[in-house]
Amino acid sequence: MNKINHEQLLSLEHPFVKIPVEKFRSSLRVSQKHIEKEIATLTSTVSEISKKSIQGNMDPKQVEVALEAIVTRLSTLKRKLKDTRAEESLYSQRTKVRLQHLQEFTTIPTLDSDDFARWSRVRLNRILIDYMLRDGFRETATLLAKSEHIEDLVDIELFVQSAKVEQALMRQSCAECLQWCKENNSSLKKIKSTLEFSLREQEFIELARERRSQEAIAYAKKHLTPWKDTHLKEISHVMGLLAFPPETKCHPYKRLYDKSRWNDLITQFRSNNFALQFFTPEPLLNVTLQAGLSALKTPMCYQADHRNINCPVCDPNTLGALATDLPLSHHFNSSIVCRISGQIMNEDNLPMALPNGYVYSYNALAEMASLNNGKITCPRTGAIYDITQIKKVFIS
Amino acid sequence: MESFIKDYDKIIKKQRTLETNDPLDRLIAVVNEAKEKIRADPSSVTSTLAVLGKSIKTVSNGISEEQKEIQSSLSKYSKAIDKKFTADMMAAINPHAFDNKENILRSTIAMHFIRQGNFEIGDTFAKETGLTVPDSMRHQFMEMFDIVAALKEDNLEPALQWATRHRSGLEKRSSTLEFKLHRQRYLQLLMGRQVQEAIAYARKNFAYFGNRHTQEIFRLMCSIIYMDHIKTSPYADLIAPNTNADIQHMFTRDFCSLIGLSCDSPLYVSVTVGTQAMPTMIKMASIMKAKKTEWSQQQELPVEINLTDDTKFHSVFACPVSKEQATEENPPMMMGCGHVICKESLQKLCRGSSNLRFKCPYCPQESMASQAKNVYF
Repeated sequence: MNKINHEQLLSLEHPFVKIPVEKFRSSLRVSQKHIEKEIATLTSTVSEISKKSIQGNMDPKQVEVALEAIVTRLSTLKRKLKDTRAEESLYSQRTKVRLQHLQEFTTIPTLDSDDFARWSRVRLNRILIDYMLRDGFRETATLLAKSEHIEDLVDIELFVQSAKVEQALMRQSCAECLQWCKENNSSLKKIKSTLEFSLREQEFIELARERRSQEAIAYAKKHLTPWKDTHLKEISHVMGLLAFPPETKCHPYKRLYDKSRWNDLITQFRSNNFALQFFTPEPLLNVTLQAGLSALKTPMCYQADHRNINCPVCDPNTLGALATDLPLSHHFNSSIVCRISGQIMNEDNLPMALPNGYVYSYNALAEMASLNNGKITCPRTGAIYDITQIKKVFIS
Repeated sequence: MESFIKDYDKIIKKQRTLETNDPLDRLIAVVNEAKEKIRADPSSVTSTLAVLGKSIKTVSNGISEEQKEIQSSLSKYSKAIDKKFTADMMAAINPHAFDNKENILRSTIAMHFIRQGNFEIGDTFAKETGLTVPDSMRHQFMEMFDIVAALKEDNLEPALQWATRHRSGLEKRSSTLEFKLHRQRYLQLLMGRQVQEAIAYARKNFAYFGNRHTQEIFRLMCSIIYMDHIKTSPYADLIAPNTNADIQHMFTRDFCSLIGLSCDSPLYVSVTVGTQAMPTMIKMASIMKAKKTEWSQQQELPVEINLTDDTKFHSVFACPVSKEQATEENPPMMMGCGHVICKESLQKLCRGSSNLRFKCPYCPQESMASQAKNVYF
């Protein structure tokens, strides 16, 4: 029961490993593309110099100067690529650290060992940081990562970039997001994203809102018509805005003018961003909590006289409130918990029934009797009995 | 997992060699070489340039080979990751279960930080989310962490003062904390060879606990005789190394129970249980999806999730005969022999009549339905 199924628990860690590997790959690709381009330019420049020199249009001194210029170009590129190289290093190192962290986990034998408790706490902090980053609480996330020394196990940097885009969208500016779409064009196409179209649509709507009709039409001609194959219906709807002022009460157009569309844009950007970088669409905290709360939830959790202060679901203000819509747990096997000591009753700690039918664990009753001259008091009814009056109970 | 890491190391090695033998440096070297040659011997311009053209081609072919190799190994590795870490976590989520409850979740997180003693993080979080943490809770936990810090340094004074102040609350919960603290202090004095002080301390403080801890007090006083070689005496267990950790744990538990809170942060408990439950939930969710039912619409999970003993907080009785969970309408009943089955199973056995003698399914003893009593777990 206490053995850990490492394979199963490790299989949950897909984003943990995939994210830095993919970042490593993409920064590597960036620097490699630059180098390839440079080599092409270099080859053609050198062959030109060669031709000119043979034709007598360039003397050796000029050739020397030209070659010097090439060297300068290459050195400049090298400097420019320094940042990309640093990024590559960061992610390649980070992947290694994470792989080792998972490797450590495979050496933990049981669920009740200290090592497992420590690993669990690290995991909790990881998913808390993930949750906080998604909702924009970067300061707390950074502080927590630093104080627990788990900066390599989380992805704070990836949210800095996206925060800039989101803030711009909140200020009702599409430019940054459009730039982002351009940079990630191929990957966005792979996931069939319509974000760019939605952004263009919104910019058109804003022009229509300000009644800048000429600019709006020009904008539509330039940026909306490329999408006519897939989005003709939306384009024709939005063109209709030219005929309706922003204060219109006509429903479909009122909806188009609604400022809440900006929030939808932010949501769309977020989900595209997560998909691109291999984050899960919902925070890991939510998934894990739902599983845990359901597994712990019993009908007794919502009954006042069966409350156990140690049970997370029993607390009505916090987790109990979160668990209201979740299914109850299901059990084929009995497990009885002593109301006095909180210990499980089993063959080492037999369940004993008092004459009034209330059952407690033998150890708890024996301890109570030893401190009270052999008398025991039922905590729930107040009835007093002698320790000799208890009877063994068999539950399976 | 190990072989997985080894494969990654191979890729890193390749990338490192590419870094140290930087492609741009190689190209720069080749161009510089040609430049120097032309400077030294201007007449060789044509041939040098031809040679340069060829060497650039060779170098760049080498570079693009290496780059392609790394890219392809990385992409293979990425696919291997997909194969190895396969759980589809989103199958098991109910995306609407926490709708409109963000504030509850966030205040739970804030309280978690306070309970763990991360006050600075809790405050930053409260500031960023705009929530307020109840001041009283914060004060109480700060007090608790101060006392625990003192305990860690073997300073029992603050804990003792707290325990004496809350004596009645502790006694109501049958906690032996106060006595254990005094006991620890006494042993500290004894091990520090301050025998007179130890005896004086015992005289002053043990009297109150005379009735309830008589045996223990006897042992403590007798251990003075073995003071010099206690490790080899029958009283060696008094100075076992984990007594300090036990006292800290007991103090934390009692402190939390006195303010009506659980011993461990509830967030931590739920998340740990959740992590262990997730593989089962994912499997269940995918099976249910195939059958076109939504797991989150069920009243009850269709599978059992095994909990570890320390996460079992409520008694669950499943009738050994019918395998159904006991409810208010179907409570557990104990027969004369001590075996417990649920009411419905009992009624089936005695065929409705309360005077029929029937044999218990688990032992040869016979009894009547009217002799069966309700048990309360």
